[in-house]
Amino acid sequence: MTARVIVVTSGKGGVGKTTATANLATALANMGKKVVAVDGDVGLRNLDVIMGLENRIVYTLIDALEGTCRLNQTFIRDKRIENLFMIPTAQSRTKDAVTAEQMIDVCDELRKEFDYVLIDSPAGIEAGFRNSAAGADEALVVTTPEVSAVRDADRIIGLLESMDKSPIRLIVNRIRPRMVKKGDMLGVSDVLDILAIELIGMVPDDEAVVTSSNKGEPLALSQSAPAGIAFRNIASRIAGADVPFMDLEMSDSGGLFGKIRRAILGH
Amino acid sequence: MIKLKGMYDSMLRCIISEDMDATDFSKEFDEVRGQGKRFLPGAKVVLDFGARPLSEGLILNIMTDLVWPAGMYVAAWITYDAATQDLLKRIGLPTSEPSPSARANESAKGGSLLLQRSLRSGQRVEHAGDVIVAGHINDGAEVLAAGHVTVLGRLNGLVHAGYNGDETASVVVRSMEARQVRIGTKIGSLDRDERWWGKMVIVRVNEGSVFIDYWPVIKSDSRDESAGARSAD
Ligand SMILES: Nc1ncnc2c1ncn2[C@@H]1O[C@H](COP(=O)(O)OP(=O)(O)OP(=O)(O)O)[C@@H](O)[C@H]1O
Ligand SMILES: [Mg+2]
Repeated sequence: MTARVIVVTSGKGGVGKTTATANLATALANMGKKVVAVDGDVGLRNLDVIMGLENRIVYTLIDALEGTCRLNQTFIRDKRIENLFMIPTAQSRTKDAVTAEQMIDVCDELRKEFDYVLIDSPAGIEAGFRNSAAGADEALVVTTPEVSAVRDADRIIGLLESMDKSPIRLIVNRIRPRMVKKGDMLGVSDVLDILAIELIGMVPDDEAVVTSSNKGEPLALSQSAPAGIAFRNIASRIAGADVPFMDLEMSDSGGLFGKIRRAILGH
Repeated sequence: MIKLKGMYDSMLRCIISEDMDATDFSKEFDEVRGQGKRFLPGAKVVLDFGARPLSEGLILNIMTDLVWPAGMYVAAWITYDAATQDLLKRIGLPTSEPSPSARANESAKGGSLLLQRSLRSGQRVEHAGDVIVAGHINDGAEVLAAGHVTVLGRLNGLVHAGYNGDETASVVVRSMEARQVRIGTKIGSLDRDERWWGKMVIVRVNEGSVFIDYWPVIKSDSRDESAGARSAD
């Protein structure tokens, strides 16, 4: 196997990187791919919690790097999906615990065993982001439709371009059509106009994301939650399927939820 | 990939491709030194990194693996990454495009720079002449020019024309979406609800104030009527 190694990034914090990593890993694994989600946010780990695997951690990525264990001893197999794994990081360490060279080596080792390696990264443009992105081929940039988040995303895209990540694709998360309609939020087309990269998906703001994260059950497994469907569509697009964007997903004048429901019901 | 190109005044331009992998640097440096064995010693070279950010460690490697062993003279270190420009300046390395001597005495300006790309947040271009941007200047990006600035796309970021105090400098923008434009020592500001917002405009200084007009300027559109941007010194 030679995995595609994809880093999930954002400029601004709290826009949904960890949520996206957990859901996309789950959705890709559910499609039959062998997937590992790597927590690259050293010192602020939470991928394990969102995936509901925190009580099963024995060794972390840092232990493997320090030679305390082998890399495959850090793998935690998901309890629901057979071919889904995660590698946790240490909460008690700082970002300098991992170097770019080490991440490149880890990714190259994982590449042999998986179809997809998804790396959750820390927000921002500092060394922590650079190190976690070092071993990746591709990047997903997550932003919310807010002016400040978009500007920070622009910054990250510039850096990813100069790190030769390709493709670099965009996820617009937490869209609230009503606010877009009132002009309080940017529309997806406004965001695309500014960032000028390929859009891979749009995820509505959905309370179910929060409840499912707290329960440690990624929403991508849910059949009905709008955000779960959005993440599944993104996973299919990552895998190369041509899943059309729903008409009004692109519109700035609301109607997103209505359209998605109709699409689920199949009319 | 690294390419060597001739410029003017027997200056060379060494273009370090923006999307070259950082791990390829030492191999590529060896190659360039091999290619340039005859002409690199003593040559004036502009090192052009595009938008690539450089760390302290990388700058040091460039010195020890390329600049010193090749015996070249670096006339400028060009990168659009603003943080790297600040770092290079702090170390005392030249960061602005050298000006061709022939044109320099003509207008004390360094020719014009055509930028065929958009500038993203955190990227900055500083040039001792006119600048034409064939792309957008995004929010958080900056263009500083000793002369005029023309933006063939959208302006969301910051433009400072005539940064040495030249108030004859002008700024022409295809779609004006910036709250502020600087010319010489003056700052003009614009609100989103003003009629020039999103339009094609020219901004310039007249009698100490910053003025904005539609571009191309239409005859019936007299200057006094269209004077809109407030100015502050
Ligand atoms: N589509 C969504 N709808 C509703 N809530 C969301 C959505 N996406 C993310 N959230 C919530 O936003 C919060 C931040 O999400 P998350 O932790 O994934 O962001 P992050 O980018 O990883 O943050 P950090 O930069 O701190 O690592 C969480 O509480 C999460 O449940
Ligand atoms: Mg996170």
